[in-house]
Amino acid sequence: MSAASVRAVAVDAAHRGGWIPDIDTRLTHLESPVRDVLSPSLEALADADRITLVPDAHYPFHPSSGMVTDPAVIGSMVAHLERETDVEIAVAGASDERISFDRTAEYLGYTSLLERFDATLVDLADEPRLDEVCSVDGTPVALSVPERLVESTVVVVPSLRPTAEGPVAGSMRTLAASIDCDAKPARVPVATRPIVDPVVAVIDATTAYGGEPVAANVLFAGTPSAVDAVASSLLGRSLEADDALKTVREDEEPVSVESETVDFDRLRATIPDGDLPPPDSPHPAVSTAYRVYAAVAGDAVPPQLEGGR
Amino acid sequence: MAPTLLNRLTDSSALSLGILGVGNIGLVHLKSAVAMPGVEAVAAADAVPENRDRAERAGASRTYDDYATLLASEELDAAVVALPPFLHADAVEQAADAGVDVFVEKPLARSTEEADEMLATAREAEIAVGVDHTLRYQPDMAGVKTAYDEGRVGHVPYASITRLNDGPLGRPPAEHAPPSWPLDREAAGGGSLLELGVHCFDVLEWLFGELEVRDASMGRTLEVDVEDAATVLMDAPETGTTVTLHCGSYQWEQLPEVNTRLRLEGVTGTISNRDHLPENFYAGAAKSALSNVASRFTRDEPDVFGPTFYLQAHYDALAEFCDAIRNGEQPPVDGADGRRTLALAEQAYELAARKRDADADGLETPEVTL
Repeated sequence: MSAASVRAVAVDAAHRGGWIPDIDTRLTHLESPVRDVLSPSLEALADADRITLVPDAHYPFHPSSGMVTDPAVIGSMVAHLERETDVEIAVAGASDERISFDRTAEYLGYTSLLERFDATLVDLADEPRLDEVCSVDGTPVALSVPERLVESTVVVVPSLRPTAEGPVAGSMRTLAASIDCDAKPARVPVATRPIVDPVVAVIDATTAYGGEPVAANVLFAGTPSAVDAVASSLLGRSLEADDALKTVREDEEPVSVESETVDFDRLRATIPDGDLPPPDSPHPAVSTAYRVYAAVAGDAVPPQLEGGR
Repeated sequence: MAPTLLNRLTDSSALSLGILGVGNIGLVHLKSAVAMPGVEAVAAADAVPENRDRAERAGASRTYDDYATLLASEELDAAVVALPPFLHADAVEQAADAGVDVFVEKPLARSTEEADEMLATAREAEIAVGVDHTLRYQPDMAGVKTAYDEGRVGHVPYASITRLNDGPLGRPPAEHAPPSWPLDREAAGGGSLLELGVHCFDVLEWLFGELEVRDASMGRTLEVDVEDAATVLMDAPETGTTVTLHCGSYQWEQLPEVNTRLRLEGVTGTISNRDHLPENFYAGAAKSALSNVASRFTRDEPDVFGPTFYLQAHYDALAEFCDAIRNGEQPPVDGADGRRTLALAEQAYELAARKRDADADGLETPEVTL
């Protein structure tokens, strides 16, 4: 069985503090690595009618935290694709119940960044949708998918971080975030796979988050399931513990990481394998205990300790 | 003003209080009022139905979906204005029309100009204005002031204060919809400097007397309409102290850890607010909780929010305001204090803008004479 290949390209790390605040400088540093990771897919991308880049822009966390894709990575990709192809390009995110994509895009700098290019920003929550039914483990799953993700050539660009539930966010979950589905969350990425088929997935590991951020200064490219397997490995997650990834990779080849510039073992040792910070809402037992104390002592319960009452 | 204030109190011995806005901090004020001896939290107003539900559960006798109706419908002695800053002036004006004293969340207003109009309205209506500047009510800050006033480190040539949190956007995991007004200059008047810096200005002038702003720099880590980082260099002529202030809403905060640091560098040593806090928050909270439980048996009043010192500071600030109103006295932190913090913030904004403009024009930044 031949191995699925993931390409790893180092990004120049010769800067102080692990983060370059100036986006123009970041774009310059990323130009060559982005060209390298996209080169195997460039022919397919040039043949496309439309390209949709889907970064991890789920919330306006600062990119130096590793919690979202660095907009400079997307800017560098747009610049490269506009130079090398004549294809119409969109950068897509999706509004959710917490925040509109317009606000997220503005705060993260996508709005001003894309003014330099012909590429447009697209809110997938506002796009026409296709209703699809897929089978997962023999069970039909109904999906409502943004038409653009089905009909355009997709490049998904996740960050390297865990989700609140523990597994990696990865490319499959980044895409699944914009898809409405009646199945359990773990099944959505699996159900999405036959419908949305990115030409390439590029993990932005310039900054990774695994309980704390680290300037990893690497980009990975490959198929979505292969790069997600690499992401899991880097964040110390077991593939067996990730139901979605385990299901998707069941019939797939093992993954090999190819690179002339990245020491994968050293990188894996560098990236911590921690979780997201705990949620603000306290454990129900803490809320209950505080309410009992407050009732006995005649004290007030702080709003933060009400426990969603 | 004192006799007027006294005469206006309702016949009941309790001070009747309305809470205008019961989001997070408004709910803290409501809960404080409910637990406060001699105060009756008669009503709360909020446009958000869930907030009104929480207010009812917290003990508000009646709730309204807008503060104007509350002020027109209730017989109040005082009102807490815990609304977004763009509503402060209107709420104070309506409270003035109703002859109700006000305790206003910081920042008092979006600008000194707006504060001046607000305070003129209050003067005309003979209502008192208090401002919720709470840092000085925190035990760590009180400890610093005591040590400083006792001359424990001799002359203090330099002091620094830092206050950081994660602002309206919070930290991962993203659980809540972030409000938009704190990131809107028109609605909030400014960013971190008005949200956090004004507290720092208040505590610094409480310690060192009048401050003079010498230089300032504003920063943004995201592309938002307001600064999420501010640094200000000041002099305190009365004490001969140079002071730096840094505040920002860019840093993830995980309660109960609160990143508020005050250091006074004196001739014989350092006074730090960290030396006046329990080494272990949870141990301190447990001790306070036990003391409150014991107070039930000794028939003493509990320290409300005692286990959480930063909320206890809000309780103490409101309690002192209520005492002042009850006694016909000027509130201990009044409108002039609130306006003063805005004036310092405006000076900082102006200096930072001037420097930015000079840099943009390619001119050298004018040298500052200290």
